Amino acid sequence: MNRTLTFLAWLAAFATLAMLPQLITVKYYLHLSILALIWVIMAQGQNLIQGYTGYVSIVGAGFMGIGAYSSTLLGLHLHLPTWVTIAMAPMVTALFALATGYPSLRIKGHYFAIVTLAFNLIIVIVLVNYKELTNGETGISNIPKLWGGSRDAYFYLVLLLAAFLTLLAALIARSRVGEILLAIRQNEDLVGSIGIAAWKYKLFAFVVSAMYAGLAGALYAHFQGFINPEIFGVAQSLDAILAVILGGSGTIAGPVIGAFLVVFLPELLRFADSFRLILYGLILVLATIFMPIGIVGVCKALICRLSGKGLRHGA
Amino acid sequence: MFNRVKTGALAALAMALATTSACAAEKKLTIGVADALTGGGAVYGLPQANAVRMAADEINAAGGIKVGSDTYKIDVIAYDDKANPTEATNAVRKLIDRDGVKYILGFCCSGSTSAVASFIGNENAVMLVGNAAERSITTKKIPNLVRTRPPADFTGQAAGTFIARKGQKRIAVIGALDVGFYAQYVDSVERELKKVGSEIIAREVFTLRDRDMTPQLTKIRALNPDAILVVGYVESAAFVYRQAVELGMVIPRYGFTSGSEEQFLRVTTSEQMEGVWDLRPTELDLLSASKNGIAYHANYSKKYNASPSPSSPYAYDQLYVLKAAIEASGTVDDTAAVAKAIRALAIPSQVVMQYQPVDGKMFDVNGQAYTANGAFQWQKGKWVFVEELPSDAKAYSVFLSTLN
Repeated sequence: MNRTLTFLAWLAAFATLAMLPQLITVKYYLHLSILALIWVIMAQGQNLIQGYTGYVSIVGAGFMGIGAYSSTLLGLHLHLPTWVTIAMAPMVTALFALATGYPSLRIKGHYFAIVTLAFNLIIVIVLVNYKELTNGETGISNIPKLWGGSRDAYFYLVLLLAAFLTLLAALIARSRVGEILLAIRQNEDLVGSIGIAAWKYKLFAFVVSAMYAGLAGALYAHFQGFINPEIFGVAQSLDAILAVILGGSGTIAGPVIGAFLVVFLPELLRFADSFRLILYGLILVLATIFMPIGIVGVCKALICRLSGKGLRHGA
Repeated sequence: MFNRVKTGALAALAMALATTSACAAEKKLTIGVADALTGGGAVYGLPQANAVRMAADEINAAGGIKVGSDTYKIDVIAYDDKANPTEATNAVRKLIDRDGVKYILGFCCSGSTSAVASFIGNENAVMLVGNAAERSITTKKIPNLVRTRPPADFTGQAAGTFIARKGQKRIAVIGALDVGFYAQYVDSVERELKKVGSEIIAREVFTLRDRDMTPQLTKIRALNPDAILVVGYVESAAFVYRQAVELGMVIPRYGFTSGSEEQFLRVTTSEQMEGVWDLRPTELDLLSASKNGIAYHANYSKKYNASPSPSSPYAYDQLYVLKAAIEASGTVDDTAAVAKAIRALAIPSQVVMQYQPVDGKMFDVNGQAYTANGAFQWQKGKWVFVEELPSDAKAYSVFLSTLN
């Protein structure tokens, strides 16, 4: 019964989102919805390594940048069709993630976070300084858009991809791999003691997370038509972490809610003028202090309290 | 009976006239501003937004914009883009899609401006760029985009000639060289230095958030340069000037910053700034300003209780350019006609900056305006205009047209 209800809730959410282009009369909100769906992909990837495996990675935006630049440059220099370059972006990002994940996953906790932070900084430095390829801080303009830049069509593409990748994340989470990832989060030493090579699963989560980010980056580049290194800085990596925490770490619905929040909240706060960012920061701090289990966690706890049942983990 | 009818008719006529005039008075033209109102770029963006609001108040007080028999009063909506490309795109999308704005002004910073420039060509809107100095913004031949500030390398060329004339042979550069337009400025300076056998011996980089530049300065000091050239945002540059003095570097200091006295004195002292050169577009300086410039300075200072930044009139001028173009084209709805009228404009009489016309027009075929460049020196707490730098707008315009 619970599963049926959950399935129906997801179906309703998908149907509502699918109707958005018809319901929204102000296209600005459609623009934000596309960005939010791109962030859903990004946050689902982040959730795999952060929420399920318990490793806080601060290189998400850096991988997003690799995806964005690889798709753009493959199109510009090899003249490949845009949909091909978008498809290739996660593969290119995966190669970088393999190279960086293998050494960095040998360390744990805060040290891992610091190493990934350093990787993000390095990626930005390379993007800024390898001007012959990336055009440096000036960035790359006029990146080809799909369907002549139609926002409605792009919305459906991003919606389908976000839905598919959310489903994939759910399948991973419910598989044996997902259970091992959760076990690593709970007690990595114990996982090792029963003969499971934890590093392989951590590397898997890290690389898949990077592939999600790479795809999100490619989709971003071909949506906005402009990229420069600033977009892929550490601040954006922190936004991805926030999306997971706000929505609900280690849940499937959490990153979806969190992604919409990190995109829409700063925009909705524009009425506050120069106090906008102070207000945004305050909301985030309060939400993190009073809702450490995220919105999904709070909702689940409420439902459980009302129904008198205990709270299950990782659902 | 006849009198009663006549009175009634007159009353109806008076009411009709009153209604007509009330309708005309109610016509409103909403102008959007997208600029850095917070963060590092706010030193340029906030004064620009203020300048647009001030110009709108002045135009409204003088009767508004006249289009045929209609008069439009200007309403300004300003959104913060934090000098961030994604934020700038969101802000402009909101202005166009939600607020129905067709004319967007401001744009102090290059990254955010380039992001908007990449899609504005497909929009029913006109974009007027202010302080953003990245050259490529006006090399794309976007018909509905113009810029009031000249590109950085146009100024760099003039600055290079000035430094070369001063006779220093070995120049060390320290700056935000990962920012495209600062690098373009330095490249232009270097080209001019090479012509007289001078050279750049070091290119030390700081980021826009750095505040301690003593490591780079210590390295530069060891090279024993004849002068240093500082390129960066006001605050960072002020730290360099201060720390150079603290490290005992008694050599000429040149810069490209466009900061006001107030902005520099928040970081450094007047004594530490003494003798520093700022080689930049003439912009706003009381000693070199026209009558409009002096009035602008006085009005801005009175309205906002702070001195205007030297680059803020780029945005102020945008609104007068727009007013002249709308009145010339006779429409507020046909943005293509207004954009075309902007390109055909002579320099409006109300502008503050001292523009150099190209073929008698304010904007060249690329949509680029040019101001004179000047050498300013810090003397006893003030930027003093020393001389105009030789700048050939026509030749640069031809060069800009060749770029893509």
